[in-house]
Amino acid sequence: MLDPTAERDPSGRPLATERLRPGEPARIALLDIRKPRGDVFLDELQRLLSQRGHAVVRCAKPTFTKPAPADVRKEIAEQCDAVIEALAD
Amino acid sequence: MALELLALVKHDCPTCELLLPALDSAAFAGAPLRVLSQSAPAETAELVQRLSLHSPVEVDDGLEVSARFDPDAVPAVMLLEDGEERGRVEGLHLERLEELFERADAKLPPDGLPAIKPGCASRTRDPDVAARLAARRARADGRLTSRELELGALEDPFDALFERGLTDGLPVVPPTPERVVAMLEHSARDPREVVGVVPPYDGEATVEKVAINAVMAGAPPETLPIILAAVDAACEESFALHGLVATTHPAGPTIVVSGPLAAEAGMNAAGNCLGQGNRANLTIGRALQLVVRNVGGGKPRVEDRSAHGQMGKLGSCFAELPDGMPWEPLSVARGLAPDETGVTLMATEAPRLIVDQLARDPEGLCASLALALESVAHPKIRLAFDALLLVGPEHGRVFAEAGWGRERVLDELFERTTTPASELMRGAGGSPEGVDPQYVSDPQMAVAKFAAPDRILLAYAGGDAGLFSMVFGSWAAGEIGSAPVTRSVNPWL
Amino acid sequence: MSCGLRDVLSFETAGKPAALVASSVFAETAAHQSAALGQPELRRSFVAHPVQDRTDEELRELAGGIVDELLIALG
Repeated sequence: MLDPTAERDPSGRPLATERLRPGEPARIALLDIRKPRGDVFLDELQRLLSQRGHAVVRCAKPTFTKPAPADVRKEIAEQCDAVIEALAD
Repeated sequence: MALELLALVKHDCPTCELLLPALDSAAFAGAPLRVLSQSAPAETAELVQRLSLHSPVEVDDGLEVSARFDPDAVPAVMLLEDGEERGRVEGLHLERLEELFERADAKLPPDGLPAIKPGCASRTRDPDVAARLAARRARADGRLTSRELELGALEDPFDALFERGLTDGLPVVPPTPERVVAMLEHSARDPREVVGVVPPYDGEATVEKVAINAVMAGAPPETLPIILAAVDAACEESFALHGLVATTHPAGPTIVVSGPLAAEAGMNAAGNCLGQGNRANLTIGRALQLVVRNVGGGKPRVEDRSAHGQMGKLGSCFAELPDGMPWEPLSVARGLAPDETGVTLMATEAPRLIVDQLARDPEGLCASLALALESVAHPKIRLAFDALLLVGPEHGRVFAEAGWGRERVLDELFERTTTPASELMRGAGGSPEGVDPQYVSDPQMAVAKFAAPDRILLAYAGGDAGLFSMVFGSWAAGEIGSAPVTRSVNPWL
Repeated sequence: MSCGLRDVLSFETAGKPAALVASSVFAETAAHQSAALGQPELRRSFVAHPVQDRTDEELRELAGGIVDELLIALG
């Protein structure tokens, strides 16, 4: 019988090597997936991250039903050191 | 310039038995002749012994030589020059055989042989054998590239497929290479061509992979072009298949087939078109979902988070009924030519009945249809959902007799599904659901259910007795969700 | 949630540490999916389900409870 799957062998995908260092301020993107109530959560995260000395960039993706579009990913890659995506429920 | 004669025979063929002693004498006298038997070693040995042959009769192992020359009948004698065929005689034609032998500088002793005796069917013409050889050829040509599933010696193929998580919960047809090759015969596309990339794990749905899942679904091979078009449509970005697979909503893809190929492929557009009994309807829908699960990798309660699901997730597919259609087919409304066959995919929940046994005019009928449409998902939730409205023939006749076309019906339905905001706000009617009051400046303002009239997809099918239509509410619609996609079906592709 | 994990993988592959915040019902699925995507260590933090009917104050508390975990995940 022939295999009906895509026969994927997921090879290990490496994580980013340059990561945030404790105590060092960073530019962190908060990526809103636009589900209801997420904005309240993200507003608070923004406040707390700023309190800890980090700069916050707010962005959003058009819909939670699809991966982030190329322009959003590009903006984050160019402007930020790290990204938090929220709030999936 | 080496000339050689090659004879193919089999054991249960009286003509072969007649010719064999003559071939044997010729070989014994030094003719450059090889005799190969299409039969198994035991039968071949028995034949040699019974006829008291002196020269060896080889067994055509795996019918490889037979497959190469592919005769219709045996005995078949080929003249080869440096391995290339220069002539052949199938069956016993004495004069032609003698000529063939002469060309090889050999002699066929004619004594006791009739002038003409037809041969028997070559074993390569046996349907099972032919299928096996075709599969082997496809593998050798690189048309079949999928790996084989490894089964334990005592493992039942049906159970094996269940255990490996490759079914939708119902048994599937084991996808043997023979069945897959037979399925692939119904498309001229290269089996390695990628039809679409399937989320959530970006599996490549090649024509071959689609064919494998189509076999498993039990689809008749003539439905393959329709299935390929459906997979293509599902992988279109605007359809948002990734979200659809992962959602907590019960929706799955519904396939509406419009156009001439639907009937040719054996689809049902009439009575019980949404129910059991029609192989094409059920298996086209099922094949798409098997591709989504097996090639994409989304499994229930893991990637697929649907709270309840519904039976349509096994497969949801019907054909539009051409006879009596009050308007143009859905495929034409969505841009295809009238003689094209199209598949329109929409992410929907299960269908729900709309009864109206009394309306005799189009306005009255629309009033009933609108009540059902307005309650898609929740009556007080507006703009977030689309709908597929399947009008049955008895209802369709009301529109046809009044001369109402698609646009007229949709405009009427759009108007009749608007309601004052005051009735829709959160808390209205005791229900916390509904429109957020911050968006309501004037409680009297009319709020439409649908984003636009054409967000209701109008289809036509069903039995000719029964004053019923059906509504399928959609999954999340528009930019934030899924948009319906239409694709043309090419009968040869 | 599933699209979110794809995003996290895509950011990490592009060299930016990323983390997803999701409701706790997705913990097991997220583990399975991360593994299937080829990177079991995709950063994900969870807040207690449900989310939809929380008050603003409750949501702020959820954020407060998770911010330091997120910074560690990005480090």
